[in-house]
Amino acid sequence: MFSSITTSRRSLLRAAGVGALAIGTPILRSAHAAGPMKIGVLIADSGPAALFGPAQRAAAELGAAAINAKGGILDRQVEIVFADAGAPPAEVSKSAVKLMLSDKVEMIFGSHDSAVRQGVENVVKGKIPYVYTPVFEGDDCTDNVYFLGEVPEQELQKTLPKLLEFAKGNTFYLVGDDYVWARTTNEKAKKYIAQIGGSVVAEDYYPFGAPNKFESTVTKIKSAKPAIVLQTLVGGDNVNFNRTFADFNLSDDIVRLSCLLEENTLMGIGKDASKNLYSALGYFADIDLPQNKAFIGELTNKYGDKAPQQCTISKGLYDAFVFAAAVSARSKSLAAKEFAMAAEGLSFDTPSGPMTMKRRHTEKNIFLSRCDGTKFTIVDTFTAVPTQQSCT
Amino acid sequence: MESLLVTQAINVVYEVLILAVLVLGLAVVMGLLNVLNIAHGEFVMLGAYTAYTVQKAGFPYLAAVPAAAVVCGVIGLLVERFLIRPLRYDPFETLLATWGLGLLLRKLVELVFGRGFRSVDIPIGGSVSIFGEAYPTYRLVLMAIAVVVVVALFVWYARAATGARIRAMVGNPVLAEAVGIRTRQLARNTFVAGTAWAGIAGVMIAPLTPVEPFMGLTLIVNSFFALVVGGMGTVTGLFAGSTIIGGLQSVLSASVSPTTAYLAMLILSILFLWQRPRGLFPRP
Repeated sequence: MFSSITTSRRSLLRAAGVGALAIGTPILRSAHAAGPMKIGVLIADSGPAALFGPAQRAAAELGAAAINAKGGILDRQVEIVFADAGAPPAEVSKSAVKLMLSDKVEMIFGSHDSAVRQGVENVVKGKIPYVYTPVFEGDDCTDNVYFLGEVPEQELQKTLPKLLEFAKGNTFYLVGDDYVWARTTNEKAKKYIAQIGGSVVAEDYYPFGAPNKFESTVTKIKSAKPAIVLQTLVGGDNVNFNRTFADFNLSDDIVRLSCLLEENTLMGIGKDASKNLYSALGYFADIDLPQNKAFIGELTNKYGDKAPQQCTISKGLYDAFVFAAAVSARSKSLAAKEFAMAAEGLSFDTPSGPMTMKRRHTEKNIFLSRCDGTKFTIVDTFTAVPTQQSCT
Repeated sequence: MESLLVTQAINVVYEVLILAVLVLGLAVVMGLLNVLNIAHGEFVMLGAYTAYTVQKAGFPYLAAVPAAAVVCGVIGLLVERFLIRPLRYDPFETLLATWGLGLLLRKLVELVFGRGFRSVDIPIGGSVSIFGEAYPTYRLVLMAIAVVVVVALFVWYARAATGARIRAMVGNPVLAEAVGIRTRQLARNTFVAGTAWAGIAGVMIAPLTPVEPFMGLTLIVNSFFALVVGGMGTVTGLFAGSTIIGGLQSVLSASVSPTTAYLAMLILSILFLWQRPRGLFPRP
């Protein structure tokens, strides 16, 4: 009897609570609308890409500050909620759910690998705009996801023909890490290599995240004598391979093009191992554009000498804020349909120059750089390079 | 084709010897003291950063060897006194403690040097012609040092009085103490020797690998597998483990593919852990 009374009291309380919530919701919603807009930003605080973490954080903070200074998004100031994307995909997906449900973020921006992206896409399910910023393999058309990074088609279509001017022939040796980005990039590369009349002599893939040694591949390269080594190695493997390559004295005769060689990795490769090494990316921290000067200027103002080294992986997060502000100024809403319509064909200005959103990927500048010591020298700039992606 | 084979053969020997150098410190501590020092890779990493600092300061590269031995030896001494000894050299407790220690060391290095890659210049450039094939000199020098060190260790352990005392302590600690062997000091010295050597190994490999706070994590994987396969506490086991793991990796990587090589090594290590956990040449 006693228990039944408490039960009914509980259910009464619960009913009252639900009632209060139901009444309270409209009021809450309008209060919410006037308050800051929260944006979840996924960055590598841990894991193999953790070295980009501080630079990603800085770029995102600068991006938020820049658009807040111009009134924010939909007349609301934006507020960043960071989450770690360095964990396994299942863990990061949980963080994304938490961002949406308890932090109530209204957009997610992410700079992390593709496995994590697919995990996040599966839980976000197109409910809020998800802007994915780094270099990646392309061919993803998940609803309400926007891609700001370089796809292989952009990295290679214009740069490979140009690279032939520096090489002693048109034979290619492909070496990469054994995962989706490297393998897809190389498949696409083969098409462009065929177009310029070149041929692939061999390809090698190394397990991702394993303690790799590159002596055997370098020895094979020495014997195969290709004109160009096309690399899709990342991070430590990229450093390790290129140092081994130079130790075996191959850098005088063979030109190397890396599809993901940014400022930090080049520091690791070092001045003695970077001769005849090239990189094709959508951004380098030293590019001579007024937009970039302003961006690096803001960075130095805010962080001084401790400013983390920017690169294409981190700077994309700055672009994400610029992009989201530009789209919502046009769409007046973050609803999927309106956002998509406003995004298509929209141009916006970033530190690497103008970008145009087409089929949810961006046409943009691609820079071909030569390594001089531990610095990049731009040898050619290709403007508005199309993505060849077919999302609707 | 023949020249390719010659260079690939040297590559195999190189990989085996480098692995032996890396395993050495771990093998001493694990095999003789039953302490699996998970932070072993971090001591190698500290050695590499010492090399970087010494080179950056303009000192000759050889100066990094004593510097790293001192840095890692002193840290090893503190760790033994305040972590390993209080945990009574218990295998499981020290495993957890050194895991935490590894985490701490990585974060400390990150605080001082940042997360980015550092590059250490090769101290001895150029290459030497072997059977008409040029091979980088520094790698050849490393191989020579590795051979000398492993052989010296073998001879010392078999003949010297300290070797005999260590064997006595390992075989029967109570009896060893009863006959006047100061086991506490001996265990401490053995542990410190292991960490100091890890530091020197770090100096040796620093010019060849990416130097970053997390480098130790990948280095310890193969070292651990080499110990599992070779067996703990014997120099023969150390050499056998390095030869099998390093050789298998190198040969399969050159002849089939690097991913297959890695897979084969994992399968072999699992088979050993499962069917022969004491390895090929364990301490009797």
